[in-house]
Amino acid sequence: MSPGAWLCLFAPLGGTLAITLAGTRIPRAAAGWISTTSVFIAFGGAVWSFFGLRAHGSGDAHISNAWTWLQSGAFKVGLSVLVDPLSTMMMLIVSGVSALIILYSIGYMHGDDEERRYFAYMSLFVFSMLLLVEGGNLLILLAGWGLVGLSSYLLIGFWHERPSAVAAAKKAFVMNAFGDATMALAFFVIILHAHSLDFTPAFHVHLSGTAMNLVVLGLLGGAAAKSAQVPLHTWLPDAMEGPTPVSALIHAATMVTAGVYLIARTHPLFEQARTVELVAAGMGTLTLLMAGLIALVQTDIKRVIAYSTMSQIGYMFLGAGIGAYANGMFHLMTHAFFKALLFMGAGVVIHALGGEQDIRKMRGIGAHMPKTKWLFLAGSLALVGIVPFGGFFSKDSIISATLNLGWYGWVFWVAALVGTFLTGVYTFRLYFTVFTSEGDAHPHHAAGSEGPWTMMLPVAILGVLAVIGGWIQFSPLWHPLTDWLSPVAATLHVAEPTNTQEYVTSAIAVVVGLAGIGVAWALYGARRRREVPSVPALQRTLEHKFYFDELYDALFYKPSVAVATWWRRDIEEGFVLPAGPDVGETAFDTGRGVGRLQTGLLRTYVFFLGTGMAVLAIVFLLVK
Amino acid sequence: MLGPGIAWYLGVSAFLFGVGALGVLLRRNPLIVLLSLEIMLNGANLALIAFSRHAHNGAGQIFALAVMAVAASEVCVGLGLVVAIHRRNLELDVDRLSELRG
Repeated sequence: MSPGAWLCLFAPLGGTLAITLAGTRIPRAAAGWISTTSVFIAFGGAVWSFFGLRAHGSGDAHISNAWTWLQSGAFKVGLSVLVDPLSTMMMLIVSGVSALIILYSIGYMHGDDEERRYFAYMSLFVFSMLLLVEGGNLLILLAGWGLVGLSSYLLIGFWHERPSAVAAAKKAFVMNAFGDATMALAFFVIILHAHSLDFTPAFHVHLSGTAMNLVVLGLLGGAAAKSAQVPLHTWLPDAMEGPTPVSALIHAATMVTAGVYLIARTHPLFEQARTVELVAAGMGTLTLLMAGLIALVQTDIKRVIAYSTMSQIGYMFLGAGIGAYANGMFHLMTHAFFKALLFMGAGVVIHALGGEQDIRKMRGIGAHMPKTKWLFLAGSLALVGIVPFGGFFSKDSIISATLNLGWYGWVFWVAALVGTFLTGVYTFRLYFTVFTSEGDAHPHHAAGSEGPWTMMLPVAILGVLAVIGGWIQFSPLWHPLTDWLSPVAATLHVAEPTNTQEYVTSAIAVVVGLAGIGVAWALYGARRRREVPSVPALQRTLEHKFYFDELYDALFYKPSVAVATWWRRDIEEGFVLPAGPDVGETAFDTGRGVGRLQTGLLRTYVFFLGTGMAVLAIVFLLVK
Repeated sequence: MLGPGIAWYLGVSAFLFGVGALGVLLRRNPLIVLLSLEIMLNGANLALIAFSRHAHNGAGQIFALAVMAVAASEVCVGLGLVVAIHRRNLELDVDRLSELRG
């Protein structure tokens, strides 16, 4: 099974290298196929590891160490991969969804000027993400963590001639670097006390309460930045500047869910700092409400889905934070399916409209694109969590898991249900506005075809997965996924609801979700379009996304600009520039003097070199 | 141990190195300069191998092999430069090739 894991890890890197080294010697179309093939090979490797692990029984964890990567005294870090239930599950999701999305990209990116670069970056991303989830120790995990940040930066800024894309890429990188830094600081504390970054010793490190809280806060900072949770969330909506398949892959299905993986992976640490773990749950709850509210007023189709992603990751954080790790991971999986489906469905529409992303200009497109319409509907129902679509099984089990936690459990429960209502409203506002309303939008290319088969096939497969993907687990009756993950990330006892609680919560969640859809129908439905009630103050707050960008602007950007301006006006122009000519003259004179040493004659150089060596040798002999 | 003592080997090695160094310092033809460099390297190699025998440790001989490989590549580059200079009809004189003079 370890060979499978190594194959899974390095196949995408091979794809990147092949595309990069072949350069313009291969046709553009070939780059896409190389990338797709390499990621499908990676998926094969993941399946191989999965069945290997199943044959051994899922209680096993296998670390395969290639070589010692770094050594400093007794501290040693190996380049190693870990095959255990959690990592194989992530390998399957990451490589499987990536393979479909890269196949989709072949159609979507066709004709772009720099297709080869795009596919090289995509493969690089898949490699980085697999390194993150397969890493056999915390340092390899951090390396993958940084590399996914890099590939995300490269892909957000892929259309580098657009200033907004470059700005968004920088923003994402800086915010993620903040998270990387807090994580690295936490790791330093672990190295100091456990003398190792291997999982087992690191998770059994003995720390005082405060130190443990700080370590876990550091980890949580990394997780929140990568997963776009409040207050480190502002980069994700801007990241939609990247090509749509990038949004589907990195900013919906895989990379942004890495924070949930991190919490599940390092849960022994989180459980020793239970307060911080509950802070994570609270953060998730706050995010799911805020993102759901903001999504109500967005008009860019990709931004609506982006806020919905933030909101759904909020649910996963809630699940992982209260100790229901398996439920969080389950929602991660179904979310990967239906959110990739929604993004790619949106991509089909954007592609057909020649790059238009404003939902108000998409009215009426549904009549021309029946297949996309149905698939998008399946994805939307899965997102809201209507029986029997994916989200129903995974989201409701997270909500009901909050019930045994005392008063804050009830707060989480109510907030999560309100979030479900909001999900219903914003999702179907999008669906009704784009697909069922009457309008004059029509595809640019010839009618009859909604897109090339490379685009429609992955969307169809994900559509099927969005419908049936959740059936794998229905907590009250069958729970293979929880059992599979229990050796690595066993659900805390306090996060195990009774069957009655599950049934009641599920029923309420479905009703609330349907109510949300009903409200959306009343407001945005085709034949009965009414004036949307408006509350200007609230609407302005939401359109400004709760003023987070403005706040960070005032807190960080404006003060540094003020300091820089003051520095330039009073220090540079006051002292440095007047002194400039003198400094310059002195430097010129010194330069001329030193320049005379450069005779340009090889023999003098050799002579000085030899003499210097001889002098040094003699000095050393004498001193010794 | 059979054969002369290590001092003899080191003496020959120092002599080779000195001859090579003088050649590099005094000759002006780049070809001869390269040749003298080779002699210096071989002097160093001889010392490495002598110490290796003396200490019963194979590492020195491995180093010598590595030095030979580096020397071979360096000569390739050097001769390539000499040929390139010749093709451009420049004088083959290291003192005339002094465009980096300050």
